[in-house]
Amino acid sequence: MSTQLILFFILAVIAILSAIGMLVSKNSVYSAMFLVLNFVTIAVLFLLLNAPFIAMVQVTIYAGAIMVLFLFVIMLLGTDMAAEGISMPWQPPIAILLSGALILEFAFILFFAQQDVLPQIEAISAAFGSPQSIGKLLFNFYLLPFEVTSVLLLVAMVGAIILAQRETG
Amino acid sequence: MTTADLNVALPFIIVAAWACILLVIDLFIPADRKGLTALLAVAGMGFASIPVLLRFEESNRAFNGMIVQDGFSSFLQLLLLGVGVISVALAYDYLQRRKIVKGEYYTLLLFSVSGMVLMAQAGDLIIVFLALELLSVPLYVLSGFAAKSNPESEEAAMKYFLLGAFASGFIVYGIALVYGATGTTEIEAIHNVLISGVSNLGLLTVGAVLILVGLGFKVAVVPFHMWTPDVYDGAPSSVTALMSVGAKAGGFAALLRLFLAGFPEIAANLAPILVGVAALTLIWGNIAAIAQQNIKRMMAYSSISHAGYIFMMLPAIVDSDIAPDAISAALFYLFVYAVSNLGAWGVILALERADGGGLSIDDYAGLGERNPGLALAMALFMLSLIGVPPTAGFIGKFFLFRVVLDANMIGLALVGVITSLISAYYYLRVVVVMYMRSGDPQVRSERWLNATLWLTALGTFLLGIFPGPLLNLASRTGLFGLVP
Amino acid sequence: MNGAATRDLFALAPLIIAFPIMGLVINLFIGRRLSERWVGTIASAAVGLSFVTALLQFAALQNTPDGIRVMVADWISIGTLNISWALKIDSLSVAMSLMVAGVSTLIHIYAIGYMHEDVRLQGDPGRFTRFFIYFNLFVAAMMILITADNYLMMFVGWEGVGLCSYLLIGFWYEKGKDGIGNAIAGKKAFITNRIGDFGFLIAMFLIFWTFGSLQFDEVFQSAEGAGTTVLTLITLFLLLGVTGKSAQIPLFVWLPDAMAGPTPVSALIHAATMVTAGIYLIVRSSVLFALAPATSNLVALIGAVTALLAASIAVAQFDIKRVLAYSTISQLGFMVAAVGLGAYVAGIFHLIAHAFFKALLFLSSGSVIQGVERGLHDSGQTNHETFDPQDMRNMGGLRSRMKITFWVYLIGGLALAGIPPLAGFFSKDEILADASENSTLIYILLTLAAILTAFYIGRQIFMVFFGEPKSEAAAHAKENPPIMTVPLLALAVLAAFGGILNLPTLQSLSKWLQLTLEQVQHTEFNVLVALLSFVFALAGLAVAWRVYGSQRDAADPMRRFLGPLFDLWENKYRVDEFYDWLFIKRYKALAFTLAEIVDWRFLHDWVHDTLLARTFQRSTRWLAEGFDLQVIDGAANNLARLIQGIASRLRTLQTGYVRNYALSIFFGLLILMSYILIQFSS
Repeated sequence: MSTQLILFFILAVIAILSAIGMLVSKNSVYSAMFLVLNFVTIAVLFLLLNAPFIAMVQVTIYAGAIMVLFLFVIMLLGTDMAAEGISMPWQPPIAILLSGALILEFAFILFFAQQDVLPQIEAISAAFGSPQSIGKLLFNFYLLPFEVTSVLLLVAMVGAIILAQRETG
Repeated sequence: MTTADLNVALPFIIVAAWACILLVIDLFIPADRKGLTALLAVAGMGFASIPVLLRFEESNRAFNGMIVQDGFSSFLQLLLLGVGVISVALAYDYLQRRKIVKGEYYTLLLFSVSGMVLMAQAGDLIIVFLALELLSVPLYVLSGFAAKSNPESEEAAMKYFLLGAFASGFIVYGIALVYGATGTTEIEAIHNVLISGVSNLGLLTVGAVLILVGLGFKVAVVPFHMWTPDVYDGAPSSVTALMSVGAKAGGFAALLRLFLAGFPEIAANLAPILVGVAALTLIWGNIAAIAQQNIKRMMAYSSISHAGYIFMMLPAIVDSDIAPDAISAALFYLFVYAVSNLGAWGVILALERADGGGLSIDDYAGLGERNPGLALAMALFMLSLIGVPPTAGFIGKFFLFRVVLDANMIGLALVGVITSLISAYYYLRVVVVMYMRSGDPQVRSERWLNATLWLTALGTFLLGIFPGPLLNLASRTGLFGLVP
Repeated sequence: MNGAATRDLFALAPLIIAFPIMGLVINLFIGRRLSERWVGTIASAAVGLSFVTALLQFAALQNTPDGIRVMVADWISIGTLNISWALKIDSLSVAMSLMVAGVSTLIHIYAIGYMHEDVRLQGDPGRFTRFFIYFNLFVAAMMILITADNYLMMFVGWEGVGLCSYLLIGFWYEKGKDGIGNAIAGKKAFITNRIGDFGFLIAMFLIFWTFGSLQFDEVFQSAEGAGTTVLTLITLFLLLGVTGKSAQIPLFVWLPDAMAGPTPVSALIHAATMVTAGIYLIVRSSVLFALAPATSNLVALIGAVTALLAASIAVAQFDIKRVLAYSTISQLGFMVAAVGLGAYVAGIFHLIAHAFFKALLFLSSGSVIQGVERGLHDSGQTNHETFDPQDMRNMGGLRSRMKITFWVYLIGGLALAGIPPLAGFFSKDEILADASENSTLIYILLTLAAILTAFYIGRQIFMVFFGEPKSEAAAHAKENPPIMTVPLLALAVLAAFGGILNLPTLQSLSKWLQLTLEQVQHTEFNVLVALLSFVFALAGLAVAWRVYGSQRDAADPMRRFLGPLFDLWENKYRVDEFYDWLFIKRYKALAFTLAEIVDWRFLHDWVHDTLLARTFQRSTRWLAEGFDLQVIDGAANNLARLIQGIASRLRTLQTGYVRNYALSIFFGLLILMSYILIQFSS
């Protein structure tokens, strides 16, 4: 096994555990911190895949900006302990059962049922994940999706403002 | 990027850009004159339809295959722009009545329509995803538009958003798996890889199923439909009208293109699943609708069942001989459903009271006597939704069932016929209550609303008697561009 | 007449349908502002013009006996499938449309007088216009059905007449037993007919499936090539449609209740025209039925048994219209038996003759009912709630009080009983003669039915018109105005001389229909059969005279003779109760069983909340409401109440929790994935 593979497995386990941790924590600050951990691990995974730019974006935007926002909200509302909702004792076991079954099915289909090859993808240059090449891709090949995304973000912003506006108005 | 690229994307660009401009213009329109915003929104959609009409039958590919233009996309874009215009007309008076007038309503509506218009052209899974979000996010917000006065509206928005995000997760994951299996996200290229036999079939199938689940959520087929009654009920009725037609048409645009142009071979493998989903949707939607006392919930289940009718076309496109007919039938039915359904929602809007009451089916008692015109229109819409000849809905269903029979799916055809007989019970219950019980319904009469009702009623009737031109158009669109 | 002129006349054919539509559009938009007289005149004139157009088609056909296909417009054109709005003008459709338009015109005129009074008696004059709008709509739909050139258009008309029937049965929807009786009657007609329509629809799909076309000519041309099995299936499903629309076993239960509609409705829709649509359908599809002998035999048997069964029920009814309703079912049975035997001409002949005399009888009974109601009003009695103006036990002695009505009723009654030379004699005799040649069993059944027919109509006439008045109201009964009596006289003339259409040896109707129908049997006039049936008719009338002619009190003497059999007949063989037991009771039991399962402790949480309770709530409500449309909430329907009770306990079901909904999406995905798993691993 190469070092890369070993690193990958360690990171993968951390990512999954931190996601589970986020789900089960009763304290929402802990949840948020688990999420940060999860984001960071994924950023490292990106690094391993030779995509430094995305890794940086992941850290600065998700683990940085968005999580700070989350924490602000948690602190401001003072709901650091998850409120007890209407208890539905049967829901978690069923959910776990279903997810477990799904994972098994996925695994079986992907690894055992079909043995055909993965498609050949052109060899990736070393500069693949660099800001320059991503910039070029975004403004050439992926120009339309890029612009649509900007419209989408605008809409989300407008929507958030409208929904929030009613608090004051 | 070239001018040709821009030309193909013009309908989307116009609607989206217009929405951005309207966002600014609206700031300068005083609160009591928001009708101007509505008018401008309609104008925007009118402009957007010009390039569609000019290049209706052309087939083009633009932005590196990100979007494509063909008869399929043009037909749907015209339909969706029309739906947008009617939704504005339906909303104008309703917003005033419910005292939720805000210029942003129309802006968001335009954004949503831009997403639908883009979806009709989507030639790449990335665009499919973005268009889906673009059409959904404004709908999430619009669902909560009455949140100030009505907590149910807020609940609907929240539910729709959470579950919508959940479904989007499936789609993204599905797209990732498809990319992993084929190395591309462009729909046509996926097909090329698939037939050259170098793709990973397992990954591709799982990806396709995940995308199916996500889109199935958007068009509300069983078992991904649970949100529909709650959200349709809670959202302001004018939004529900748009949701029930626009979001559905958008979702089906993606489903049909994906399964026909992207991976028909996978669709063939999935055929029993698709048949099962269609049958289950038909049965569940039509039966559950009978138990409803609230007309909005009834229409929610009705919309589920109609999704089932259109969904019958998915297993049918597997056979390449039948595919053109299946596409035409789906397009024609979407059109007919849009006309009749928007009309029915128009009547519902006319009867909804300022306090949000007037939505029980019992509130329709006496409509036949108080307002015969409105009752007649509603009866026409209900008959069309059942599929009674000679209304538009009948031709639509007839076409669908014919395709199903051609595809040798006799069992499914039988389920379709029987469930549409069952559907007569709940649709006719409205007619019966209107004509055979006395009551004192409060009816709102307003210019835009009335014009919409006239238009849709006329359309429902005329399309039933002279469906020729539209049938031709729908049949032709099935023949160029989309079908390889 | 030259060819060009003929073509011009044929070009007018669509007006047969267009005139009634114009009439209804005019009344729909400006009817509110017009006086009743104008509304009635417009509606009647529209139908009258339709009749004139049909006459012109008749004239045009003299030159072009093969008939013609009149294209109006393209309708559906999908690939190979072409369906047009086209009219099939041939001797069969013209004969039918002449009958329908003619009878309709007379009934429309009658209805002007009848409804004028009826809307006042019922207390809502505003509905006068609505009545004529529905009536015109009915005629238009009926004409579409008759002139249809393909099964689909026929189905349009079929559904259209059904809709009008439903609307008109429930015309006084707030009246009737417990204030909902009429609405329930409408509902019953509707549900029963949906079963029939389902048959028609399936047959249509099968036809399209087999022949690739729905146009009559194309289907019939290639009929020979199709297998017997599929033809039998097609005709069996068509037969299901026929039993619904023409009220045959097992779907006949709706017609007697349909008498809840105003009397002109009973006369036009539920006696003369709509209910004969089933027979018309069989005659139209005679090519298919001829190739499916098994079905044809079944058709004949169903018809004959229905004829006898309904005639026996009619013997023990006391409601004047109910007797006529069962009589209609019985006579329809005659026609169905005839077409089942392949005697298409005899069937159509009896259909037309029956339209004349049964319309006459119904309209006259309406005249009687209004006469009695007016008498009730004049006698100063105020027991409107308890007094039933339709109960024959409250009548008697009306002969001298309503002279015209009596005479026309007598003519209609004798025609029904089959006394020569009235119309009913010739038409019924032709059926009996055909039956005697083809099947002894059918012949015996029909003859028995014919004897009972003479008896019950005699019973009715004697109970209503002879003897002493048995109530104050009957004693004060008065004749109706000419607007009602004149159409009666016209119909009486038709009922008396309608037999001319197809006199023995002359056979004018046979020759006329032969132009369209290929397999027309020539049945020679059978003197023995004719004589026998005449004697039987006389005997039936004589027995009726013996029993009821000098009856003084209200009790029915037959009850003593027949004992429990009479009760059985009076209760209509308890078919309604049987259906109730068979279907509705089962649902009830199911609901209770499910309710108990749901209450089990250990299934409480998950199964209760999601799976069982939800499915249960939906399925039981559906099962319940499949039969109880909840047309009226206050329905004193135990089942509905039971279901509502359960439903309210289970209200927590539509949980509304996002996580539950998300779970259902997960569950759906799991199922889909399982399928793929199985597919991949096999």
